[in-house]
Amino acid sequence: MGGASRNERQRRQEAARQRLAAAGITPKKSGLAGTNRTSIILVAIVVVVAVAVGVGVWLSRTSTEPVAANYPVALDGTAVAAGQANAPITIDVYEDYLCPVCERFETTYGPQLATALNEGKIKVNYHSTSILDRFSNPPGYSTLAANAGMCAVPAGIWPAFHKELFDTQPAEGGPGFTAAQLVEKGNALGATGDWQECVTSNRHAGAITAATNEAAANPALQTDGQFGTPTVAINGQKIDLGNRDWLKEALGQG
Amino acid sequence: MKQGSGQVLDIIGTLARLGLAAVWLVSGTLKALDPDQTYVAVRAYDVLPTELVGVVAEVLPWLEIAFGVLLLLGVGTRLVAGLSALLLLVFIAGVTQAWVRGLSIDCGCFGGGGQVAPGETAYGVELLRDAGFLVLAGWLLVRPRTLLSIDERLESRPVARSGEGRD
Repeated sequence: MGGASRNERQRRQEAARQRLAAAGITPKKSGLAGTNRTSIILVAIVVVVAVAVGVGVWLSRTSTEPVAANYPVALDGTAVAAGQANAPITIDVYEDYLCPVCERFETTYGPQLATALNEGKIKVNYHSTSILDRFSNPPGYSTLAANAGMCAVPAGIWPAFHKELFDTQPAEGGPGFTAAQLVEKGNALGATGDWQECVTSNRHAGAITAATNEAAANPALQTDGQFGTPTVAINGQKIDLGNRDWLKEALGQG
Repeated sequence: MKQGSGQVLDIIGTLARLGLAAVWLVSGTLKALDPDQTYVAVRAYDVLPTELVGVVAEVLPWLEIAFGVLLLLGVGTRLVAGLSALLLLVFIAGVTQAWVRGLSIDCGCFGGGGQVAPGETAYGVELLRDAGFLVLAGWLLVRPRTLLSIDERLESRPVARSGEGRD
């Protein structure tokens, strides 16, 4: 391919265009910024399909209506034991109120869990850990929030308060909510008893630290030698949250 | 002589196209394989409202894979290079704002992402890398002609037909 044949090609192209024009045919124009029109259409199709796939997956994962909680809750150590004591399946959920994947977990599975709790199919021990204490500024939001979560049980607002803290989860690296803000959130949900004192005094902080250390040191809860949140165990067996049907499958077995 | 340099430019363009295709395919696949992590990565930029984070996190991997496939095949190279450049500029803006605001996040460019310890950020490297990808896109935007592309076939088809009639 020498320069001559290249010029020859261009010349022939021009000649062809002229013949087509003479015959009253408008040749296929190079469209947008010199790109072939067919390829623009192909690009548009592929991009639209990609976006449609993404939106489709998103819609399928976006949870349906929130489910009103209608199950008993009690404190069991630092864990919040939710559901009927005689439910056949026990699920342990390890969370941190500052952990974004936990927010994701609650948004995705919260309604499913609430439904199964309401129906007495499962009981769930919610363990609020404080592994992300250093990711708020000032540090310690995880503990403060976990403590407030424990206070929310005797205050009679746990399901709603737990959901509220994840729905409005503050960003990592930020200040989180102050004790006063947490108190206010609980008051808005109708907290009773010594709610305010329980939250502001950070009453359970020491117990939360101890429980967090204990969970983190438990090999059965570790993934690749590390403890993280959220971690979920069914009847003591840690499960893979990469499987999005873990709860449905567990309920099927139950 | 002129023809020779044109071929060299074609080869450079082809490498740029395939390189950028590889970048999008790898980054998109890694993001698509771990949607929760992608969600966390997008959220960590702290730019979008929570409702939008979900959509963006699900659409972004597929968009990247689409760009990768189109570049690999060489379909609408100039257009896809332009779209790639736009997306890269969005990434660069995202990383820059995180840096300026003093957030400590991983860009999540190739999977991963989210919060890291304040000493572990790598904004400079991440921006340099994105700038490198932007150069690839820029080349193809200016000179989209490459070898082994569907564009080439689409372009040459009407010429070949008229040529056949003539010969």
